[in-house]
Amino acid sequence: MSLRGKSVIVVTCLVAVGALMLPAGSAAQQSSVPVTDAPVKVVVIKGLQGVKDNAKGTLIVGDGSMHITHDTTVSNLDTHSIEDVVTGDDSQRVIRGTLGTLSWFAPYGAGRFLSLFRSKLDTVTIKYRDADGGLHGAIFTMPVGQAEVIKKELLAQGARTTVTEADTKAGATTPDAKEKQ
Amino acid sequence: MRELRVISRAVVCLTVILLCGFGAMAQETAKPVKIKATAIQVDMIHSDEIKLPAEFQVSMYEDLVRQLQKKGPFAHVYREGDRNAASAPDLVILRSNVTGFKEGSQRKREVTTVAGETQIKIHCVFSDKGGKTLLEADVTGKVRFFGGNLRATYDFAKATTKIAQEHFSSTT
Repeated sequence: MSLRGKSVIVVTCLVAVGALMLPAGSAAQQSSVPVTDAPVKVVVIKGLQGVKDNAKGTLIVGDGSMHITHDTTVSNLDTHSIEDVVTGDDSQRVIRGTLGTLSWFAPYGAGRFLSLFRSKLDTVTIKYRDADGGLHGAIFTMPVGQAEVIKKELLAQGARTTVTEADTKAGATTPDAKEKQ
Repeated sequence: MRELRVISRAVVCLTVILLCGFGAMAQETAKPVKIKATAIQVDMIHSDEIKLPAEFQVSMYEDLVRQLQKKGPFAHVYREGDRNAASAPDLVILRSNVTGFKEGSQRKREVTTVAGETQIKIHCVFSDKGGKTLLEADVTGKVRFFGGNLRATYDFAKATTKIAQEHFSSTT
């Protein structure tokens, strides 16, 4: 088979994988029904004491604490120490990790093409104080629809916020509210 | 004729060496005198005029604290509100205010390479306990090609730490 033929096959495969992943991402977004008691799968982007950056884990809010389970260890954060909870949204490449890196070497800009396929995420940003009074910040990402649920739970357990629900709605209706990608 | 060549080469070599020496001396004399500080307190990033998303604010703060702990010239790095900072001698307080923010797009960067840059401009003020300004600097954090938007905060933290390294020392 000629080199061109092989390249065409590689590009076709990558496009097919992308096309298969896209509905899967959409399905995940649609099925993200807010569940209050179930643990929420989160990624700790940064800032949580004792947890590595980009660590995957589960988050449960209850008993006045935020419990984050990761790598068989549990980190607890007192909700009363949380001074601010802010939700947001973001997106990430559908094909990421090793396969995502390898896709950059695919011919005819297939890697770039695959970057167009992205899944949406919710983000929760918190600010909290440690035992010495030092201010910390932490960022989490989670499936779409979970951030507001987590925020409500945290507020119910004693956390505070500077951005109320009314502010969020007002911000969403302003003309400069744009999609972050 | 041959001797003349040798002499001319020697003269060229000497000139180059002398120029390098003078350059190094000029650099040494241009070095600023470092301010003695054993500890720094990093305050939360403020954005009085610019609407900055919370994740950028927190990410900048956390990256800054982390970079100063790793590579900064200070023996202790305290966070805002840390009670232990009050007893620290030679404490420097770092306040940062966002003066410009352009949120780019990771998708645009990955697809086009040239578009979608994220840029954050911050005015940093290093002051002593009494509020006297020791150093002011404008720092820019960018992500142009690879990585998520939050990578701009890491760029900012690295640049600020470099400024701190150049102007502060815990031993001098």
